[in-house]
Amino acid sequence: MLNFKSGIGIALLVAGATAAHAQQNTPINGTVQSRCIIQTDQPGIYGNPNAYTLSTTNTDGGSPPVIRVDVTLAAAYYLDITAPSAFSSAPSLPDVVTWAGDTTVKSMSDSTNMGGYETGKLETGYTDRYDLTATGSTWFETTSTATLGGSRAFPGGNYTALVTAACIAK
Amino acid sequence: MLRYVLVMLLLFGHSASAHEMVPTYPKLEPAFVDGLYKTTMTMFNKRPEVEYYEIGIFTKDWKPIKFVSNYKVYKIPYLSTVSFDVYVRSEDRYSVTYICSVSKLRKSPGPQTAVSSKICSKVKRLGE
Repeated sequence: MLNFKSGIGIALLVAGATAAHAQQNTPINGTVQSRCIIQTDQPGIYGNPNAYTLSTTNTDGGSPPVIRVDVTLAAAYYLDITAPSAFSSAPSLPDVVTWAGDTTVKSMSDSTNMGGYETGKLETGYTDRYDLTATGSTWFETTSTATLGGSRAFPGGNYTALVTAACIAK
Repeated sequence: MLRYVLVMLLLFGHSASAHEMVPTYPKLEPAFVDGLYKTTMTMFNKRPEVEYYEIGIFTKDWKPIKFVSNYKVYKIPYLSTVSFDVYVRSEDRYSVTYICSVSKLRKSPGPQTAVSSKICSKVKRLGE
């Protein structure tokens, strides 16, 4: 004959086993879809090395924007990064602005398979096209320089220019 | 403790912000209304400085195609996901190639470059 304490013990064991059984049968479902993720690691800042130049290079007091692109499906995307060729917002300017810009691969998560990104890129105007042939993360840096014509000084105010990063499925 | 701090720095040290849209290869299916085809897209916003994303549908030559969705510009608060249906006319279904979303940026102070992100999914045809 079982006493009261033994009965409770057995009940707890059975309850525990049932709970363990229930935990084993609780599924967590998820679907991982292939994707391209564009991340802004660092927004750029223009330095003002002289009155008529705005530049994102570090030596000019600026900071270039850094864009990270994560890809989870190899050879499924192109990446187009376009350096600015106009201000999206600026004060009224007294002369024409000359633009220069370039994008380069800053670093990568898989140097074996991504090592050819920089040499294999296609440059068209301000746009650099990269063929994202490997999965993983790649960091891109875009430099931009704006020079006001006639060496005239940029008027005081806020200046913003857009770098466009486009991930396009192949 | 030091290890914990290092892990926290690794996890949160970067103020990265992201834009993503799935599926990469959507499929157009007949809608419940005759003469229309539809597909469902999902966007996730991890860019704290961006709240609005505009969608567009294009041919393989990047010509815009008329479409209907609840909105052309979706408000997607930071760290939220929005799923939306897009409808195209059945005569346009073979022309639809790219479904894109573009971040809409606000004016911000200071001399700076802002990053506009754009993601385009592709409707694949047989043999592509």
